[in-house]
Amino acid sequence: MASRRRMLLKVIILGDSGVGKTSLMNQYVNRKFSNQYKATIGADFLTKEVQFEDRLFTLQIWDTAGQERFQSLGVAFYRGADCCVLVYDVNVKKSFDNLNNWREEFLIQASPSDPENFPFVVLGNKVDVDGGNSRVVSEKKARAWCASKGNIPYFETSAKEGFNVDAAFECIAKNALKNEPEEEVYLPDTIDVGSGQQQRSSSGCEC
Amino acid sequence: MAETESYPPIDPTNFDLIVVGTGLPESIIAAAASTAGKTVLHLDPNPFYGSHYSSLTLQDLVSFLNSHSEIPKTNSLQSDDTTIVDVNTRPLYSDVEISSYDDSLEEHSRKFNLDLCGPRVLFCADLSVNLLLQSTANQYVEFKNIDASYVGDGNGNLMNVPDSKSAVFKDKTLEYSEKNQLNSFFKLVQGHLEAVKSVDVVIDAEKIISDDDLESPFVGFLDKMKLPPKIKSIILYAIAMVDYDQDAGESCKDILKTREGIDRLGLYHSSVGRFPNALGSLIYPIYGQGELPQAFCRRAAVKGCLYVLRMPVISILLNKDSGNYRGVKLVSGQELSSDKLVMDPSFTITSSKCLQNISKLARGICITKSSLKPDISNCLVIYPPRSLYPDQATSIRILQLGSNLAVCPSGMFVFYISVVCDDALEGKKSLHAAIDGLFSVHTDQTDSNELKPTLLWSALYIQDLIEGSVGPVVTTPTPDGNLNYNNLLDATSMLFKKLYPDDEFFPETSNTDSSDKLEDDSEVVLDS
Repeated sequence: MASRRRMLLKVIILGDSGVGKTSLMNQYVNRKFSNQYKATIGADFLTKEVQFEDRLFTLQIWDTAGQERFQSLGVAFYRGADCCVLVYDVNVKKSFDNLNNWREEFLIQASPSDPENFPFVVLGNKVDVDGGNSRVVSEKKARAWCASKGNIPYFETSAKEGFNVDAAFECIAKNALKNEPEEEVYLPDTIDVGSGQQQRSSSGCEC
Repeated sequence: MAETESYPPIDPTNFDLIVVGTGLPESIIAAAASTAGKTVLHLDPNPFYGSHYSSLTLQDLVSFLNSHSEIPKTNSLQSDDTTIVDVNTRPLYSDVEISSYDDSLEEHSRKFNLDLCGPRVLFCADLSVNLLLQSTANQYVEFKNIDASYVGDGNGNLMNVPDSKSAVFKDKTLEYSEKNQLNSFFKLVQGHLEAVKSVDVVIDAEKIISDDDLESPFVGFLDKMKLPPKIKSIILYAIAMVDYDQDAGESCKDILKTREGIDRLGLYHSSVGRFPNALGSLIYPIYGQGELPQAFCRRAAVKGCLYVLRMPVISILLNKDSGNYRGVKLVSGQELSSDKLVMDPSFTITSSKCLQNISKLARGICITKSSLKPDISNCLVIYPPRSLYPDQATSIRILQLGSNLAVCPSGMFVFYISVVCDDALEGKKSLHAAIDGLFSVHTDQTDSNELKPTLLWSALYIQDLIEGSVGPVVTTPTPDGNLNYNNLLDATSMLFKKLYPDDEFFPETSNTDSSDKLEDDSEVVLDS
């Protein structure tokens, strides 16, 4: 399928507020990290070109724009996602417990055609904090949950130190690529009213 | 997943603006105010975005229509310095009639995205498309073509609308002389619009339409141009999208002037070819009209607006002495203050003047398993006044959409019907006339000669039309009876100007504003 859609992979990042969703995106795309936390304002989506088997794809990574704070994301956010990344903070038990809710919310809202095989990736973030001493969710426990949900790939990451972030997103991109979009809707006759008007500049830094 | 009880308290507790309801006007105001740097809290009692402009599953649509057709009650309470006024839901819908001839539809409920405010389309050159581009909300919505337009008659014929020069050329139903008449009329209109636009060139009086003509009824102008009735009807009702019978003379409620008629033709024609792969002048958003308010809400969120769904406002706090608005009380018990409050028209408080019903709309949603035309998925059908029955006073508009727009399961079609009316009886009569003209109603014995799509499900309802208003609180308009959003967006930008006279409604620069980008978040300390 030669449509624009196949070249563009939509990835959404879900998880409780403050687990590091924006930081992970920012570390992967811009290699930048900020210690100062503030609830996400001004984050929309970032794009990054990825190469896979000699073909170039655009990974479009969507931030929650803060709308997850009161679980108010809205169905449009979920639509057409090729991969859903679930993030929790290994130092906050509740953020891990909520993974199940986020996963279910995604499946209800996005209603993918094959929910059993829809690609998720789970990231346990902030493994750097306090040298791992404040950690409350063990890797074993996280892996067990991932296994019980159809062997979801699992990565332990530190957005701050850039640890495992590239590896995680490589897996995310590969899985997004495997997802088959609903062809009827994404046939190439889709009209993007922005094209020809103002070229949507790739918001990702190409450096 | 969310229960309101599990929400943390909203922090901060003071905002520049609180907006209640996430319909298109409210969402645009929230996005415009956030873009102008205001602190905005956007609330909705529903678990979904869009209020009366949303696209819902089959089940949600039925329960929303029913829950908004009950009669509310109101009371107020005085305390030391504050008057607390209960917020009530005003029923916008009445005479809701759901008919189901196929139980299997319920199983696919979630595959439907049914518009509450249908039929609605965007013209490629209209205000909504411009606003999407100006606010950059366009990056969240994709569209597809409406493939064709037809004018219907009482005998079941659907005649293609020759709406452009090439369509006139290809048309097989028009006589050679009719084609010439239509083409020269289109040329006249185009010449006039071009001449009016180029102010610095000496205007050639031959090319423009005289002021006398511009101020006179459009229907008379079409007569003067000697256009035959068939073509006149196409121009008035299927291109200029006029509601009321223009040949009814004195008794016609709304006579279209030539100036306005020419502008509408201009909008239609400038819409053709604006976007490379949009073939006609009309487009429709994939997943339904409900995507538009969500796109503006996301834009608002990116600009810092705080979103809380499933959060009803139970009362409004007013200053006891001045009667001025002070804040709101939420169902959670939390009290919040703001300078201004905007509410969707389904919420009322006693102290605000009783909103006048100006007019009503009859709307219908129908589902079938086949298309009106074999090779056409998405199309518009217009029944001009008097085309279906003698005393039909207004045009009836129907929009057919297929599953390639992700509004219904594969192999099905959704139809939206609307007509302006004085009362429910008249409105329902028009809806039924259109349904009888388009579909065969499900029966056990199948009529093999019947080529019309079989009706599987329908929802008919009457919607009150309420205009926006400014009082202690600002009330946004309900969806109107037009095909596009132009009048609603004009009203919305007026409300914004009344709220914030010193701020621009989506400044042009917001296009190139780089503050959306994470890497330009200047406040944070970066290390690599």
